[in-house]
Amino acid sequence: MLPSLSTVLLAATLLLFAGGPRTVSEPPSAAPNAQAPEAASSILNSPFSTRVVAYAIDAKLNTTSHSIDATETLVYKNLTGQPQQAFPFHLYMNAFQPQSTLMTEVRMSGARGVGADSGWNEKNHGSITVTKLEVEGAGDLTDKMQFIQPDDHNTNDRTVFQVTLPKPVAPGASVEFHMTFHDQLPEVLYRTGYKRDFYMIGQWFPKVGVWWKNAWNCHQFHADSEFFADFGTFDVNLTVPQTEILGAGGDLISSANNSDGTKSAKFHSEDVHDFSWTASPDYTIVEDTWTGSAGPVKLHVLMSPGHMKSAPRYAQALKGTLAWYDKNIGPYPYDRVTVVDPPHGAFNAGGMEYPTLITAGTTWYMPTGVLAPEDVVNHEFGHQYWYGMVATNEFEDAWLDEGINSYVEAKSMAALYGENASIINFPFATASEAQLLRIEYISMPDTDPITRFSWNFISDNAYGGVTYGKTGTVLLTLEKVVGEDTMLAALHEYFLRYRFKHPTGEDFLKTIEDVSHQDLKWYFDQAVYGTNILDYDIWEAHSDRLKWWEKEISRKKTTDEIYRTYVIVHRKGDFIFPVDVVVKFEDGTTAAEHWDGRDRWVRYTYDRKTKVASAQIDPGNKVRLDRNFFNNSYIVQEDNRATHKLENMWVFASEWISQFLAWVS
Amino acid sequence: MPSAVRPKTFISGAGLVWRWQRILWWIFIVNLVLAHFAIRGLVDRVSPALAHSSASERLVNGYDLTAVMELAVQPDSPLETPGPVVFHYSVVFAVFMIFSTGGTLATYVFDTKPSTTAFFEACGHHFWRFVRLLGYMALAFIPMGILIAICSAIHHSIDDKSNSPYPAAYFSGASSLLILLLLMVLRLWFDMAQVIAVADDETRMHRALRRAASLLKHNFGSLFWLYLRISLLAWIFCGLGLYLWMYQLSPWSITTAFLLTQLMLIFWIATRLWQRASEALWYRQYQAVMVPEPAYPRSPAPAPVPYSTAMN
Ligand SMILES: [Zn+2]
Repeated sequence: MLPSLSTVLLAATLLLFAGGPRTVSEPPSAAPNAQAPEAASSILNSPFSTRVVAYAIDAKLNTTSHSIDATETLVYKNLTGQPQQAFPFHLYMNAFQPQSTLMTEVRMSGARGVGADSGWNEKNHGSITVTKLEVEGAGDLTDKMQFIQPDDHNTNDRTVFQVTLPKPVAPGASVEFHMTFHDQLPEVLYRTGYKRDFYMIGQWFPKVGVWWKNAWNCHQFHADSEFFADFGTFDVNLTVPQTEILGAGGDLISSANNSDGTKSAKFHSEDVHDFSWTASPDYTIVEDTWTGSAGPVKLHVLMSPGHMKSAPRYAQALKGTLAWYDKNIGPYPYDRVTVVDPPHGAFNAGGMEYPTLITAGTTWYMPTGVLAPEDVVNHEFGHQYWYGMVATNEFEDAWLDEGINSYVEAKSMAALYGENASIINFPFATASEAQLLRIEYISMPDTDPITRFSWNFISDNAYGGVTYGKTGTVLLTLEKVVGEDTMLAALHEYFLRYRFKHPTGEDFLKTIEDVSHQDLKWYFDQAVYGTNILDYDIWEAHSDRLKWWEKEISRKKTTDEIYRTYVIVHRKGDFIFPVDVVVKFEDGTTAAEHWDGRDRWVRYTYDRKTKVASAQIDPGNKVRLDRNFFNNSYIVQEDNRATHKLENMWVFASEWISQFLAWVS
Repeated sequence: MPSAVRPKTFISGAGLVWRWQRILWWIFIVNLVLAHFAIRGLVDRVSPALAHSSASERLVNGYDLTAVMELAVQPDSPLETPGPVVFHYSVVFAVFMIFSTGGTLATYVFDTKPSTTAFFEACGHHFWRFVRLLGYMALAFIPMGILIAICSAIHHSIDDKSNSPYPAAYFSGASSLLILLLLMVLRLWFDMAQVIAVADDETRMHRALRRAASLLKHNFGSLFWLYLRISLLAWIFCGLGLYLWMYQLSPWSITTAFLLTQLMLIFWIATRLWQRASEALWYRQYQAVMVPEPAYPRSPAPAPVPYSTAMN
């Protein structure tokens, strides 16, 4: 249940007296106004989720040692339908050590902008130590904690521990864990940590695994994996120096100054599966409001120094994306979104999603023609749906969050910023999000199926190319089969069916089949579960005189000449997909063909009083999975304009390299 | 230096370039032809993929970056990086420029219509001197390299420590400007050494460099301003050209784009020659005023003299 109006007023009153030395205020309480709960509940019944966990965390940030000391109480409700005695927990912060599985994988093939050959920097060391673990009714079980490595048996990896209780927890009963832990934060690496006086704190507390598919699901932290957790409530009390400006994935309930120069801020969040927060004395807060079908949403944008020019761009993108989702997918039920703009040098904290809090990214010189600030907000906000509410397993089914989100990103960015220039928009150069996804895909098209567990891809590039690029492209191509409107209707239905649940890939695919009333196994087997490449080309398109053995008719009688035109369409790849072919003739007539693509090639023959002008597979380029659009057509009349244009640029560049060398010699 | 030397050098330098503009055209043509050959292989590979495909419209009716990326990521990509080839041709051009500088400077220094033979004789006469000078230039780049590394380290340190990105950006801007100015001074110094080598037929390059350094030291203001203002003109013109190309020309103006880009290059070469001519003129005037007779032994330079076989 979302906080009431009285809570807002209380928090606002407290805020008036809780100001630090800065003129910038704390983010005001993000609790909804009086209309929000009613508006939301008319669409969604609160509580929205099945609340399995209730976390209460009391944490104190030490800005000198860049560490956190905290206590955590977790009430876990056993809804597994069977007694539970051993409970696994994530300790993500332990991944920031050279022998961890994450760092081993980074060293192997890189990830998140960190190259495979990058050395180890001790500044990036991070850890989480649970110094005490008690279970209500069972006493101190600190000694019973045991690190486990369910994925790779790397005993140096300490990102998961398990504790076995003396007695099982009965089905329907609850168990209460009390932990004391200490986080040593890394200098920003893999989304979390500090940079100078900026803090982005994610994956920072012991988090219990998820009982899923009749087993505990608690994977180690991998270079190419994100997260998975159960829904519940969070009550987090953060104590930080009074100079800090806080942002968090929860409603600010209260904030009060302490006598030791610190202040304590209480946050509450519900029907979410994670809690992250940020602190910096340098933030400038930009506020806005957007009202959708579930009521008003407060937008807090925490801007880092030098980035204020991007603030309106973030806000505009956020509002546009909220509106797009509200119209096409479903209501956003929370009363807040916080956008964190990491400062320069903290790039790795950017581009990340947490429930109701996202991190963006920009630079002081970001040109307006590069829509990176808009895109990152669009993408990370999209995760509020595909991860936040439709809480799929990001370890095992990364395509369900990143892939679906990439598809929607391509659609919504095109709607908001233009079909062909949704990511780069200069008069002299353009690029669209949909095409960039396709480029990602065709860079690594056939090493891994989409459904591969995120840490099992051949490389980080393949993880990105397939999970984001291929999935997005697979869904864009599916529009060709079921129609664009049906795809959006299917996503809307998928959201309604599975929000606040943990659906699987099969659930998603079945929803598309249900909504489209089509059996799409033929497509999913190839596109989702397979690695075949889709590539069709025009093998040949030419015309010959039908009566080739007769002497060529004189020029004035040319109209009587009949030509036989041959067009061969070739399936170059092993992916079978029905395609449309349009053959155009010199007299302006056309012939439209549809080929099921099952054989390796097909030949079309036409006898007409005209010659072939062009042959085109898939006019409009709807089959975006096709690896090469350039071989999809053959125009008889040679056109060298594109070549000349490129040639001109290359000549110019080459001339200037020569000029530079001449100048320095 | 006497004030009599200062005026008119700037304008007269341009006059010299205009008068002996064949040098400009030849340099431009060689640059263009070498660049053309450098990218020929690339064009030959990409042409079949584009010439008969409707997908190439993405490059004609605009410039879709993803179209180029698509070509680049194909397994049999026609866009194989031509980097090494372009570099090799650029080296050839640089060598050509070292070679032609002797003839160019002789023409400007003596301001007489050179015959083709005399021009190339002057080129050959000075070539190895200028190659030796290049060795000194490489040595001079060592402290520049160290300076660049230091500035880069300071930039990273400021960037790392400062909460605002601006101090590092301002430092970066200021240090880049400083490095650019120092590079220009270095270039000017070597330019003057080349002028001395030609005008006085100086054979020892260390001596030419010493004399050029002394000239520069005592006349820094007038010489550097002479050099800088021509550079400023070049940058302004090329910046304007780039702006027109990128923002004003329609995507399908391919011929106009070619003409515009080549016009930028011609102007760039012309301004570089303008600097050379002004430097030569400056030295000629300096000699006339300050050093009527050289105080050192000199061998006869192959000064270009009018011949009936003048370059045409
Ligand atoms: Zn994402």
